[in-house]
Amino acid sequence: MLAALAAALAAAGCEHAAARPARLVDGRPAAQFTPLRGSVIASGRVLTRGELGSGLDECLFTGDRDAVATDAPVVERVGVDAESLTVASRDGSGVYACDGGFDPAGERSPPWCHAVFGVREHGRLLDPRLDVLCRDRRRQPLAYAFVEPVPGARWIGVLQRGYTELYEVLAALPVRVASTSGVDRENARAAFEIRQYDAAGRELVRENLEAAVAG
Amino acid sequence: MRCFAALLVVGFALSGVSGAQAYHRFWATCNEDAPTFMTTMTRDAAQDYANAARYEGYQWGGGCWNYDDADSYPNDPPQVLGTHGEGGDCSGLTFKTWRESTDTWRDGRYYWRALRNVHGPYDAAAFRDGGGAPNHTVAKVTAGVMDAFASGTHIGMIFTRSLYGGDQIVEAKCEACGTNIFYRTYRGDSAYGGVGRWGWTG
Repeated sequence: MLAALAAALAAAGCEHAAARPARLVDGRPAAQFTPLRGSVIASGRVLTRGELGSGLDECLFTGDRDAVATDAPVVERVGVDAESLTVASRDGSGVYACDGGFDPAGERSPPWCHAVFGVREHGRLLDPRLDVLCRDRRRQPLAYAFVEPVPGARWIGVLQRGYTELYEVLAALPVRVASTSGVDRENARAAFEIRQYDAAGRELVRENLEAAVAG
Repeated sequence: MRCFAALLVVGFALSGVSGAQAYHRFWATCNEDAPTFMTTMTRDAAQDYANAARYEGYQWGGGCWNYDDADSYPNDPPQVLGTHGEGGDCSGLTFKTWRESTDTWRDGRYYWRALRNVHGPYDAAAFRDGGGAPNHTVAKVTAGVMDAFASGTHIGMIFTRSLYGGDQIVEAKCEACGTNIFYRTYRGDSAYGGVGRWGWTG
């Protein structure tokens, strides 16, 4: 009976709308990008390190703090299940990300559970710096990865269970996306279904990002 | 005869095919065996385990090797996971040598055989930060045999302590340099922190 109902809803195109979350992880109402039905916009804003206060320092390794300029733009993102900070190193050699969530080993207190550094060569990241160390508030495995926007992309979409989460491209930095779908914790891997859209919502790229913890 | 010649041409053509299947090679010999839970873990045994991985190559995101003292697929493109070659990367070698669990909250001792393809959930930065129940940071000045030095992008374990401020480090360094023991000065490098494994029994 339930299967028949689900099939009927899917046939009517209701599967995305039915599961779209109403709120982001911090409780704010989740906005929708009108051209994309069933989408959720992850909040994104650009701050300076100074405006963030101690937020960045609490997450970065002590020895890395001097590698980030005080006036460096920091992208703060708050999504449905995850939150992150992204900032480039002072010398442009790479990008730091602070990944939010619960540390299952209980060693780090929220909001941050891990920090990663992605090396850049010729302005591009060498790999997506997958992080599978964090859990969401339901204690489900959470995976973070970087996505490099293609020219013209304004939004990075990640297909979640029943909706598309959208991350705005900001400060010319790689976009730190997150998902609770497709996480293979045992093998330290994750698969993301990625879409890239222009400002009007036209799809530019459709790809499956398969990432693994490395290095 | 004409048919034979045509088949010969096709055969030669196919014998030269490389491409996709070339990148699913060494991992085909690896396995998914469960680890063996151990009650002991000595620094001597860890030295032996890491030492045996020398010359076995390097694979970004990898953790599977045999014991033939050669990299079965050398000179892969660097930092490409899909090459599926032999060897661990720096954090994969450390994870297996330190007998860690894929569950970060478990601090028990899990012996992984060389051909078990496992990398573990930690990258170098996670080790550096002492992430996971089995790991903790240590002062670099006191770091000893089979403790490690880790930065945001690399980790190597102390094989022996050397004179003149450096150490003999066992590490999976890069595609070109493979896995080996090298003299390094990570102890004096501010980008590196000291990290250790809880639970040594000797």
